[in-house]
Amino acid sequence: MIRLEKVSYSYPDGTPALEDLNLVIKKGEFIGVIGKNGSGKSTLALQLSGLLKPQTGRVMIREMDTRDPSKLSGIRKLVGIVFQNPETQFVGRTVEEDLAFGPENLCLPPVEIRKCVDLALAETGLEKYRHRSPKALSGGQGQCVALAGVLAMRPECLIFDEVTSMLDPKSGIAVLETIKKLHRKGKTIVYITHNLEELHDADRILIMEKGKMRLEGDPESVFSDVSLQTLGLSLPSLIELAENLKMHGIVIPWEKTSTPQSFAEEICRLFLKT
Amino acid sequence: MPIILENVSFSYSRKTPLETSALRDVNLRIEKGEFVGILGEKGAGKSTLTKLFNGVLKPETGTVRVDGLDPSLREAKRRIGMVFQQAADQLFCKTVYEEIAFGLLNFGHSKKETEERVYEAIEAVSLDQTELSRDPFSLSGGEMQRVALASALALRPDYLVLDEPITGLDPSGKKEILETLKRIKEKGTAVVTVTHNLKGFFPLLERIVLIREGRIAFQGSRESYLEKGCEPLPPIASMMKELRARGMPVNLAVFTVEDALEEILRLKSILGKENSEN
Repeated sequence: MIRLEKVSYSYPDGTPALEDLNLVIKKGEFIGVIGKNGSGKSTLALQLSGLLKPQTGRVMIREMDTRDPSKLSGIRKLVGIVFQNPETQFVGRTVEEDLAFGPENLCLPPVEIRKCVDLALAETGLEKYRHRSPKALSGGQGQCVALAGVLAMRPECLIFDEVTSMLDPKSGIAVLETIKKLHRKGKTIVYITHNLEELHDADRILIMEKGKMRLEGDPESVFSDVSLQTLGLSLPSLIELAENLKMHGIVIPWEKTSTPQSFAEEICRLFLKT
Repeated sequence: MPIILENVSFSYSRKTPLETSALRDVNLRIEKGEFVGILGEKGAGKSTLTKLFNGVLKPETGTVRVDGLDPSLREAKRRIGMVFQQAADQLFCKTVYEEIAFGLLNFGHSKKETEERVYEAIEAVSLDQTELSRDPFSLSGGEMQRVALASALALRPDYLVLDEPITGLDPSGKKEILETLKRIKEKGTAVVTVTHNLKGFFPLLERIVLIREGRIAFQGSRESYLEKGCEPLPPIASMMKELRARGMPVNLAVFTVEDALEEILRLKSILGKENSEN
């Protein structure tokens, strides 16, 4: 779906953000991207969505080169991006108006715009807020409006740049669940975060450092990689606990380490059967 | 003397159709030298509460006193250092030095005293002297947050009030700020922080204030918060709560990996004995 070939990019002050990066994202994948501040994660997100163009190398989105201005409209239809602060992304007075903005810009007919808005509202559970001002909603609901605004353009690939970092834990979980639901419906997801716990169910995790890919693999292999700590990342507490329990002969299967509930359920199952 | 809030209520857009109640009947005391966490969902009223501490907002009813003073007085403001979530929003000078010196010069300190205090503040937040001539906006998120912290600390406040100080930072940036706050607290400054990051802050908190829909739903020690099963909880404490809900005799005041390991091994041993006796 998206292919980066030897992509490099430096900011105007000369700071290198991406260096010789190669990456293939397959249709329907859920990719988690993690790394320190300044590792190049957000620059990668902007490259994947065509908002930044590589200085060397190329980014191909469904065989459309992001450096080709004539492909811009096609790329916008395929890839959508949601940022950290929802309030900076609102453009409409009501949720409904906000969601209509993208399809209108794609010059869709009114009937089609209505369909896109209705579907995006349904997919994010925001139907009852359609006439409310997006600024009057809670942080989690606001982030869902930003997500719905992108969904209304019917993209195949969605990029999320630290979308839960400003939310309280409950709202963060709700937003992540909505994103996972979209993935199960076939959307390709690139999810950038500082929180490894959010990537437990990803298909693939990429760890970036200084504009390069340092580690790549499925969550289980990445979480158990010894170099994780040298990259300045800490293991999710439940996974760290499972690792410690293993040394005492208590084995918690990987899939049970995703939530406190499943972890406790497994402890009870193990201890009550003996 | 502490920060005392008595029967405080506050609404935004008062006497307009958009009036929204943010805080209701809040009674709270923050003692010098303690580390307090203000928890609650987004929109609960946590940030409003911190803005009442230094007089940015005035209560609609009730009173706020900082060491017995009205928080809008200059002397009260000097006693409270504020650091907001987006450090970049509170930085505006051309160099890190000017940024940290700004408050000091405004409070009428001499150039010599200002210089001494700037160096003292950067040492407290582990910023290198070479950073003083840099443009604050060329710094990383963690460094910017430390400059904002140093600017507040240079005034030698008795209370340091922070709103989500580690949001958006990577794990090493978070660790740096948490260690800095721990040192600040050990030197006697009260640290009051609004946070959603329970994993990072929980080990530092001595007291927790939980706000729900503008009211204080809980205030007390971290242990009492855990034992009462309040939420939100860090993942390990949440797992212990789940175990207890399933009838397991576990200690709810456990929130670290080390203590949870010990507690689960103890649980295994108890259940093993019960099974062999049966």
